Amino acid sequence: MNRQIFLAVFALLLASSFYSYAQDAAVQVQLDSKKAGPRTVESLTERGIVRDYRLAWTSMSRALEFNNPDSLNGSFVGEARQWLRQTVTNQTPGLRQKYVEQGHRLEAVFYAPEGDAIELHDTAQYRLQLMDGEKLVYDQPMVVHYVVLMTPSSDRWMVRQLQAVPEF
Amino acid sequence: MRSLLLICAAIGLAGVCVAQDLHVPDSVVAGDDAVISTTGSGDATLYLLGPGISRKKDVSLGSDVRISPQDLRHAGNYVAVLCSGTCRSASFYVTAAKPASLAFLVHPSRVAVSQSDAVSGVVLPFDEYHNLVLAPVGINFQMNAGSTSLLSRPARTVDGVAWFRTTSGKASGIVQVNATLDDLSARRAVQQVASDPCNLRISGQRTPAGILVQTEPVHDCAGNPVTDGTIVTFTAIGANGKSTVDAPIKQGIARAQMKSLGATSISVASGVVMGNELRIGAQP
Repeated sequence: MNRQIFLAVFALLLASSFYSYAQDAAVQVQLDSKKAGPRTVESLTERGIVRDYRLAWTSMSRALEFNNPDSLNGSFVGEARQWLRQTVTNQTPGLRQKYVEQGHRLEAVFYAPEGDAIELHDTAQYRLQLMDGEKLVYDQPMVVHYVVLMTPSSDRWMVRQLQAVPEF
Repeated sequence: MRSLLLICAAIGLAGVCVAQDLHVPDSVVAGDDAVISTTGSGDATLYLLGPGISRKKDVSLGSDVRISPQDLRHAGNYVAVLCSGTCRSASFYVTAAKPASLAFLVHPSRVAVSQSDAVSGVVLPFDEYHNLVLAPVGINFQMNAGSTSLLSRPARTVDGVAWFRTTSGKASGIVQVNATLDDLSARRAVQQVASDPCNLRISGQRTPAGILVQTEPVHDCAGNPVTDGTIVTFTAIGANGKSTVDAPIKQGIARAQMKSLGATSISVASGVVMGNELRIGAQP
């Protein structure tokens, strides 16, 4: 009996980690930093930004789909974290937003002289789905332009500002 | 929409087939209110999604729905979905209001004097709701040491950012760095400290315990006293071999007591700077 419970828990954890990985892998992120200045973006920094921006969108999608604001903690700070938490916590019960088929084309437009802030332009493509209970009330492919500010923390880049604009 | 009504009328279902539609504003400034107008008749559900909001509300078709300023504080993309049987949607943007504060990053907080491109500052204007103001605005950067102006440089924000980089001043002490935009300003302080020592000079004398050697007051090349704690290295070479003493500068002077009985040659260095060499004869 104990073995069965152990196996069930193990399977659940495995499934959960696969789900998380699958969600993360489903978010496609490309970064072009050729035009960034005044500081040059090093390749290691580039990889870190791509990794952490992908994680941020995975976390955000999870938070809005499962109404779980804690998902936001590791990737967002400042204003971005504040409005995302507000969105999740004030979301009408029963509503869920899903960001699916995500692709993000990032262009670094400013990298601070001391490397303590980077501004990115993200041309994001995704399907935004709105569920009201089990009913799908909105399902549209979207192209949204985001101005993004990221700042480094001790071990990763955090999204500080995520602001959609009509165009760059 | 007309065709939809015609279809509804043609199949005799006009009573239940509601041709609802909605109109959203083209653009809204953060913190303003907005009106979403609906057409049609009957009841419907309005969903509003955007930064900080994910809400469902029952509405009567044909009426206007007012969105409060509180709900439109965050700049970004908002989607309104109106459902009554079928769903219609429209989106609009909220843009940042006028600048109300400046985020100002200045580096470093402590810098040696006369260093090329050593001080930099980045400013980002935000509105009262903490949205980044992307419309270009003029920023004036100033750097002052007391009443002496070290820098006054106008800049214009591009994509919500303006920045500068400059050489540090010549005198040690506190430097005020200001960024101003109309009546808004942000101020940071940078501590300028002396650069590497310049013209290190030492003198020494025999004592019963050996040789007492000390520097003259240590200055950088611009005449600023070098910060206490900076290490000065004395090296003595005599008949007994070589000995080295690292001594911190205290009150502008570094001192060391070296044990050497015979004729000794003493040199001094701090960082990459060498000083004069001293020769002291053997103890009588």
